[in-house]
Parts: sequence; C-alpha cells; structure tokens
Amino acid sequence: MLSSITQAPVEAHSHNRWEPYVDNGGTSLAIAGADFVIIAADTRQSDGYSINTRYDPKAFELSNKTVIATTGYAADAKRLVEVMEQKAQSYFHKHERVMSTPAMAQLLSNTLYYKRFFPYYVFPILAGLDSQGKGAVFTYDPVGNMERTVYVACGSASALVQPFLDNQVGFANQRAADPNRLLDRETARKIAIDAFTGATERDIYTGDWLEIFTIDQTGVHREKRELKRD
Amino acid sequence: MDRYSFSLTTFAPNGKLLQIEHALAAAANGVVIATEKKTGSSLIEVSSLQHMVKVCDSIGMVYSGMGPDFRVLVNSARKMAQKYRRIYMEDPPVRILVKELASLMQEYTQSGGVRPFGVSLLLAGFDDRGANLYQVDPSGSYFPWKATSIGKNMVNAKTFLEKRFNGEMELEDAVHTAILTLKEGFEGQMTEQSIDVGIIGTLPNAQDGGPTPVFQCLSPADIRDYLSNIA
Repeated sequence: MLSSITQAPVEAHSHNRWEPYVDNGGTSLAIAGADFVIIAADTRQSDGYSINTRYDPKAFELSNKTVIATTGYAADAKRLVEVMEQKAQSYFHKHERVMSTPAMAQLLSNTLYYKRFFPYYVFPILAGLDSQGKGAVFTYDPVGNMERTVYVACGSASALVQPFLDNQVGFANQRAADPNRLLDRETARKIAIDAFTGATERDIYTGDWLEIFTIDQTGVHREKRELKRD
Repeated sequence: MDRYSFSLTTFAPNGKLLQIEHALAAAANGVVIATEKKTGSSLIEVSSLQHMVKVCDSIGMVYSGMGPDFRVLVNSARKMAQKYRRIYMEDPPVRILVKELASLMQEYTQSGGVRPFGVSLLLAGFDDRGANLYQVDPSGSYFPWKATSIGKNMVNAKTFLEKRFNGEMELEDAVHTAILTLKEGFEGQMTEQSIDVGIIGTLPNAQDGGPTPVFQCLSPADIRDYLSNIA
C-alpha cells in the first residue's frame, strides 16, 4: 500500500545563477518634423533602487546627420554604439562619404539581428533626415525589428510618454485635428520637454538631466537641461 | 592592355571575338551602353539573347568575351548588389560594386584549380557621384572611363569617341553617338535586332517616372527611331 504512494519530485531551484542582463532604466523619445527631427534621452543610470550615476548620456551622434538613443542595459548599449560608430567609420573610408540615415537604420537592424541568440538588451531609437531631407525616426526591438515612424518613446517611462505623444503629436482621440500634420521645431521641443518633466515626476528611473538633440540640414545641435533629482 | 585584348580572342571557343561593345558616359544625367548582337546563324532567336543585363536598378553590365563566364559574373554581381541592399537599404555605388567584382575576378588568377574569367566587363551606373562607367578586366584591374569601347574594333572606336565625346552632352546625344560608334565597325546591315542599347537615366519614355535613374534596355521600336535619324 505504502509503495503505491509516490511523492512529487522536488525541483532543484538554482538561487545562485548569474544573470547576464541588468536593466539600467532611463527613457528616450524622438519626434520627426518636415525638415528636422528631435531625439532626447535622460541621463540617469540606475540598478534596482540605487542610482549608479546621474550623468551617463544615452544619446550619441553617429554622424553629422544621425543620432542614436539607447535604453535598457547600459553595457550592451555602450558596446552597440561603439560597434555602430566603427561601422560608420568603415563606411566613410570605403565610400568617401557619410552614411545616409536610412542606410544606418538598416545596418543597425542587421547588427542587432546578428546577435539574435544572445541579444543586445537595448531598445534603440535612430533619428536623422532621410534622402529627401524629411525627419526620420526608426524604432527597434532588441533583435532588430525595425519600423519607421513619426514619433516614439522607449524605456522605463515609455508607458507614460508614448500615450502622451500619441495625443499631442499624433493627435489621437482628438476629433477636430489632422493626424497627418507635422509639428514645427518649437512645439516639438516643448512637447519633448514636457514629456520628460512629466515622466520624471512619476518614474523613479527617469530624472537628473535631459539631453535634446535637434537634427536639421545645418547639422546636429545638442541642448542639456536639468530634471528633478529625486 | 593589348595582351588582354588578344588573350580574350583566344578564350573564345571558335577563336574569334564576335561582340563589340561601346559605351559612353553622358556627364549630366546618365550613361549609355550599346552592343552589337552578332549571331552566327539567322536561325538564332535573337530576342532571347541577353547581352545587356541589369545588375540592380541603378547599374547595368555588358561584356566582351565568353558568354558563359559572363553569366556567372552577372549572378555574382546581382548577389553582391542584393547583399549590399540588405545591409544598407540602398543600391551600391558603382565603384563599390566594381571593387567587389574585380576582387572576385582577381581571386581566380591566384587560386588553385581555377582559370581566370574570359571576359572584360563594362559596368555602367548612376550613384551619388553621378554617372559612372567602369571597365573590369580578367586580371581584376578596373578603370573608370568617360567613354570607352571594348572588343574587336576598340582601337578605332576609341579614336572615334575621342573626337565625338564631350562631357556636357545630353543623354539623347549620347545614345546617338554610341550607335554611330557601333556603326563604324559594323559588318553588314545594322537594324534594331542586331544591336542592344541600355541606358541609365531619365529618358522621356522611361518606365520609372520617379527621380531615381533606372537601368533599362531600349525597346527595338526606340532603337529603330534612333537608327532612322542616322540613316
């Protein structure tokens, strides 16, 4: 009788397994206009409830016409940007000219997919002007799925910022508005700043400083603004 | 250089070079390549002979030498162009494709168990630098040209081009000049069936009405129009 009673096997839970990824928090966004594009990211780097540093930039110029913003795992983000910078340089030497933004976009997608089975834990946004001079924003998932959009938000406060952009940039749920209308520079900048001040209030991982890059035919212009440090 | 034009003839199976290719680069807005489509017999279905090929939308290619070797290089060139597109979402600039293709041809001069490709290629294309024309030889050397000719009658044709070519000519004039150059060394009657003309540019009857220049072969009807102007 007793032999018919069997006990369910106890699973061995590994409590000591090393985790290759860390979420360092932070938020980024980009908004495209008719002849410019804005891309912005905060500078706080966190690990759980701790702050690693208040100033670790997340957005970088890959060329005089393209900027990349990265959220997710800072170490992978740094390496990804390094790799992209190297590829941009290589292209420049071979082609004797700077890589166009759509070409950079496709290259980033391929670079990410190359590590499909041990991904970069990064959510990149790429921004620049397309071959017609119009603002272009490209958004990716960690393994390279790419989509060109007008605006996007990524990172720890993306759930707060994206709906705000949908309403203010995409004019979603607004009856008497033209959803295809693009914003002018000043309005886009103000919306970006407001998005971040709002996100800083509610998201503990967003704050300290904000860096806004504006790209137009004259080049890349960077602006640094303070955010709340709590 | 002369050695190569000689060795090309010895590569051909019957010991003769049957094709003459001429090309012109029109500075402003395009490139023209024209070739003779000579066939040994009147029974050959001329319209299915592919002498002038599109490598990608903005690059076309023509050859002098062994047809089968050309086909292999066409496939390689097309694959290279698509690989570039997959990475950069753009057509490769002509000079980049030329370098890769030339590199491949050079490999076959320095590897065991293979022989060099028995073709000289002319690649014509339009990229960020405007209209381009490149010649690639079996050795893997490549040369950029404003206008050139390869094949049986190339010496006379090049002399003819030197006099006729000017950098400011329009695409229409370039087509005209290319056909005239071909006529110089043409044996027999030149009709729209016996020559092929490819252009990269935006001619009025271009299928693609957009701003991007596209490689396309002229239809026999178009060629007939040009021929009638030469008389």
